[in-house]
Amino acid sequence: MPKARRKEDTPASVDMTPMIDVVFQLMIFFIVTMKMTKEVNPDIRLELTKHGPVIEKTDPRTVVVEIDRRGWLSSHNAKMDRETFRNIIRARYNRQGPFPVLIRADRRTRHQDVRAVMDICTEVGIWRISFAGIKEPKTAESRE
Amino acid sequence: MPKPKKSRVTSEKVQLEMTPMIDVVFQLMIFFIVTIKQEDILAHLDVTRPAPDTAPPKQEQPEDLLTIQVYRDGFVLQGRIVSLEELDRQLTKIASYSKNVSVIIKCTADSPHAHLMKVLDICAKAELKNLNVFSM
Repeated sequence: MPKARRKEDTPASVDMTPMIDVVFQLMIFFIVTMKMTKEVNPDIRLELTKHGPVIEKTDPRTVVVEIDRRGWLSSHNAKMDRETFRNIIRARYNRQGPFPVLIRADRRTRHQDVRAVMDICTEVGIWRISFAGIKEPKTAESRE
Repeated sequence: MPKPKKSRVTSEKVQLEMTPMIDVVFQLMIFFIVTIKQEDILAHLDVTRPAPDTAPPKQEQPEDLLTIQVYRDGFVLQGRIVSLEELDRQLTKIASYSKNVSVIIKCTADSPHAHLMKVLDICAKAELKNLNVFSM
């Protein structure tokens, strides 16, 4: 019986090498693409707004401005004053035309500080402005 | 039938040691599970802003214009002081007639941003699209 003997000769062993290769590739990919730094100001507490549309895929041109509760501006965690912000916005508008602006303002910010930012945007020529709020709180501090 | 010697030799092949790899993979898994942080799901509320240096608004205003004033300690709808729940009811009622109502939201300088966001949220709930934010 040659058939049975052949079965015995080749033990059913799975070749692990390709799987290990794939796992390593995936590991390296995730380690390399992982973002350890945050681009948002962690001190800002947004207002809970349950009914707004979810921010899904943002326009890559969007400028995110953050206003903390004392009225300080920052963008991508870089603090700046209003004059700098105006120059940046204006230069960008001259270079590539209108772009969306998203304001992440703390819930305790006074309106005059938000107004200053909106005025800079309208002065440059951007009429549409979005405000960010929390639709579904996931972190403990935003649930309070 | 005795086993042929050849097959025993092949079964005693050098085995690949899996234990260290599994250890490393578990370490990495634990690291990623521990460092992962849930993010809040954000919503955006869009508004338009009037031009900074326009002429004063026309005296005769169109019929379907709604003015909401936001103060430090409350809200005023069409000249009447309302609570947030009342504002919600009224806007839902108005929006059931027409969604094209222009809403003008006027904020005082010292009103907290949270109040404006609340009003915008109610407008989003009522599906009112034409929102304008003014500053007083």
